[in-house]
Amino acid sequence: MSTTLLESSGPGTGVLLVRTAAAEWSRLWTVRSTWWCALATAVAVLGVGTLAGIDLRDVQAPEASAWEIGQFAAGLWMFILLVFALVTTAADHTSGGIVPTLQWTPRRAVLLAARTSVIVVSVTVFGQLLVIAASTTVHLWAPGIGLPMDEGARTLGWAAFVHATCALLAVGIGLATRSTGGGLAGVFAVIIVLPVLLQVIPHELTVRLNEMLPGTAVIYLLAGDGPGGTAMTTTSSVVTLVCWALGALAVGGWRLLRTDADG
Amino acid sequence: MIKVSQLTKEYGAVRAVDDLTFDVEPGRVTGFLGPNGAGKSTTMRIIMGLDQSTRGTALVHGKRLADLPEPLRRVGALLDAGAMHPGRSGRNHLRIAARTNGIPLARVDDVIDQVGLDAAAGRRIKGYSLGMRQRLGIAAALLGDPGVLLFDEPVNGLDLDGVRWIRGLLRGFADDGRTVLVSSHLMSEMQLIADRVVIIGRGRLIADSPVTEILGALDGQRVRVRTPFAVDLARALEPSAVSVERTGPDEVEVDGLTAEDIGDLAHRIGVPVHHLAEIQQSLEHAYLRLTEDSVDHHGHSAVPTSAQPNGASR
Repeated sequence: MSTTLLESSGPGTGVLLVRTAAAEWSRLWTVRSTWWCALATAVAVLGVGTLAGIDLRDVQAPEASAWEIGQFAAGLWMFILLVFALVTTAADHTSGGIVPTLQWTPRRAVLLAARTSVIVVSVTVFGQLLVIAASTTVHLWAPGIGLPMDEGARTLGWAAFVHATCALLAVGIGLATRSTGGGLAGVFAVIIVLPVLLQVIPHELTVRLNEMLPGTAVIYLLAGDGPGGTAMTTTSSVVTLVCWALGALAVGGWRLLRTDADG
Repeated sequence: MIKVSQLTKEYGAVRAVDDLTFDVEPGRVTGFLGPNGAGKSTTMRIIMGLDQSTRGTALVHGKRLADLPEPLRRVGALLDAGAMHPGRSGRNHLRIAARTNGIPLARVDDVIDQVGLDAAAGRRIKGYSLGMRQRLGIAAALLGDPGVLLFDEPVNGLDLDGVRWIRGLLRGFADDGRTVLVSSHLMSEMQLIADRVVIIGRGRLIADSPVTEILGALDGQRVRVRTPFAVDLARALEPSAVSVERTGPDEVEVDGLTAEDIGDLAHRIGVPVHHLAEIQQSLEHAYLRLTEDSVDHHGHSAVPTSAQPNGASR
């Protein structure tokens, strides 16, 4: 038996967190589905940006912002990134991969922190790159549409917030359901289906319900206006998204920390 | 060393493990045996920190697994060979494991070589056979060169060469002074590998002894007799034998009498004997006897009714 390996002193929690995060990052890029997802999203976002740019190529409106169009193009496909975050989280449970994962990292709080951080940071950074790429594409096709830097910083800031909170929500739902199908249904429901469905029912209760959904907050923050009848503000949208993200993570985290690995 | 103390695991009203206590000492291979549903896998999962016990403790080197900062360097386990992401290559699977525990990536190629997966390590796991997945799981268990090893049914899916390889591997680990706990349904394999066995049934401890003691506790010699008049012979043997078991239409196995005793008796009652042989006591026989009251799931023989061991009677 080798003594070299056994004699190493025990590292602290910080070192374990960094190592686990490195492993989680490897876990992401070592499966083809990650690359297919990234490629599909990039093609879709750049495609919408190109079409929008071609459509506006003769427009001369320097006061208009290509960032708005780029953010809209990226926002349309943000759902793919959320699906990626959810599937990545749930797949470890559905494939049984959680069994070796917890043998290698039995400190579940470390695993939770590393997994959440890596997925949220990856989705957020990739989302930012997509907004930048889409906005630049629009501006290249339609030079008459401006690309002001101050507007870019503001747009990217809000896009980062939306991507990060929605990724947290997806990770939380993935950990809570431990099921790809169930998780996708949950994310679809609160981000897309319910906000669209509730706005067509003209009733005070459905409007108030709609204002509590994360999808409604996302629409307000990306488009500047909520679905029909809702009275969203920036503050209410931020609070709604943060509450949903932290709530989902609390439930999913509790399930990972307190229950059997695949129970 | 592994120390399991008063371990109990309940799933609602079902008690999968019931006040189980045993130690697994270093320097020997300990077989972990029991019928389906006895609680073996649950016990191993609790030792590895995957499931939480309702009561009691399961410690490795005196600690819970979660209290070991680099668990792969202290304990390696193969619990479920299918529990891997099918879209990842075997080498990347091991690299991820190595990163979590700060193990040099060069060690990955060492264990790939050790388990004989060199040619397949770059391929995606979805293309692996069960035997290759077993080898990959064993490679992950060996990655940190740990002193404690747990294997749940390690020879499942392995070909004869693989079975012989794992037999030598486990023996080598024990001879190195490591602690080795192996569960298996293959009694003949266990008899060859294990120095000691822990047998459980319905979650409770049935036996915890060296294999030699388990075999020694069986009631003397066992003799197999083949005769066209098995019913008559069995009836005649019953008063003097410890047990008479019908093992076929024209075959009985007898405990507590010598071959000479049985031959003489058959001659006295005029029963022709076509085969008479002393058979070596096996761990399988001991196991079946020890667990006969603890089997939850019984199958039925596929032998046609006409061929059931009724035997002929005069």
